[in-house]
Amino acid sequence: MNDASPAGGPARLEIAIDDKCFRAVGGGAQTVIAGLSLTLGAGEVGAIVGPSGCGKTTLLRIIAGLDRDFRGRVALPAHGKLGMVFQEPRLLPWRSVEDNVRIAAPDADSADIGALFVTLGLSAHRTHFPGELSLGLARRVAIARALAFEPDLLLLDEPFVSLDATLALRLREEIAELVESRGVTTLIVTHDLDEAIYLADRIFLLAARPTHVVEALHVETPRTKMTESEAARLRTAARKVQGALAQ
Amino acid sequence: MARIVSLLVLLLAWQFASLGASARYLPAPMAVFTAVAAEAQSGALLSNLGATLLRVIAAFALAMILGSVLGVAMGRKRAFDDFADPWVVVLLNLPALVIIVLAYIWAGLTEAAAIGAVALNKLPNTIVTMREGARALDAGLDEMALAFRMPLATRLRHVILPQLAPWLAAAMRSGLSLVWKIVLVVEFMGRPNGVGFEIGTAFQLFDVKLLLAYTLPFVCVMLAIETLLVQKIERRVSRWRPRTA
Repeated sequence: MNDASPAGGPARLEIAIDDKCFRAVGGGAQTVIAGLSLTLGAGEVGAIVGPSGCGKTTLLRIIAGLDRDFRGRVALPAHGKLGMVFQEPRLLPWRSVEDNVRIAAPDADSADIGALFVTLGLSAHRTHFPGELSLGLARRVAIARALAFEPDLLLLDEPFVSLDATLALRLREEIAELVESRGVTTLIVTHDLDEAIYLADRIFLLAARPTHVVEALHVETPRTKMTESEAARLRTAARKVQGALAQ
Repeated sequence: MARIVSLLVLLLAWQFASLGASARYLPAPMAVFTAVAAEAQSGALLSNLGATLLRVIAAFALAMILGSVLGVAMGRKRAFDDFADPWVVVLLNLPALVIIVLAYIWAGLTEAAAIGAVALNKLPNTIVTMREGARALDAGLDEMALAFRMPLATRLRHVILPQLAPWLAAAMRSGLSLVWKIVLVVEFMGRPNGVGFEIGTAFQLFDVKLLLAYTLPFVCVMLAIETLLVQKIERRVSRWRPRTA
């Protein structure tokens, strides 16, 4: 990798997965991840970009400790407190929006939860049950829950999938604002290159199965500072890698 | 409202039927109510109702607690399920009478034998229902709780129990009616008090009036528990569900 992380030591997220197999029902094993390694400095936002079905969610589950059946090493930053935003919101349907956040983050103070609700436009929905929310709102609750937990590492699995374009754009801006202001180390899984460009400090381009990091791009002017020319440069660089992979 | 009308119709039918039959076989409602009042005045009604109710509560609690723990364990652990399932099937198909007679022979005509026999009759039903509930637990929410490092108490209270609540309610409703019917049988066969004992006496004297005078108040008590307690709990645990129809 050509990136020299500014922050060293235990604050970093370091992942080295030698291999991860799934045993098929009919016997035999399929290798999903092979020789994948990536490093993310403290407070940085990393975006994992790869084709659908390449094993991105599997990678996230390994990092989250939900899947321990693999060979390799995962070093989480600081105390390894994880804020996970799953692809489906996975809220407790029998608890209100506010209770969902408080149950997962019992140590969070009310002012912080209030501020998160304001940023994510959830203030009017505190007492609603998840069944009464649209997918976009439910996903916001999941994001609020993960951030209220004050994680050392925030994991987001396709946070914009199946939202309409306008909604996705707004949520992207809100997430950018939140990770910027809170300085939480974040890893976002996405299949959309533009989302990665507008959210990340580092973009990790993944190959198809068995997946590994093909290229790590460094974003010079992340998020609010993003310029047209930098976005164009990243887009061209990524397309070249993806084009080479497709052949 | 519909319930009240339905009960009134039942009462009327009873009144008409009693006109055609001799009072020895089917006494009129009024005669039975008078008998209820007389039993209540002597204090016998209340003490017998109380004795039966205590047995119902004890057997019910025992079967629900033990059945829930075993059922959830079987639903979660495949190996335990494979081992214990034949026992459950045997217990499910063992006639209530056999369990009661065996309990009385082995443990004597004691309170413990009576309550234990009733609980054992209800146990397999609770196990089977709660096992289904445990199998239906949402794996996604489980992972969420794991990712957020929720302590066991939090997981139980906020993640697992709300999912088991409908199954628990189902087990409770079917359980309550089953338990009180069997409690009457164990009282009939080997207890010196309770509604079942009084019905036994009434049977020996061919006293249908006394029989009904004990049955009706107890049915009312169980109906009250069902509507006031069980249904209320059910509504409370399912209030988050969007209303259908």
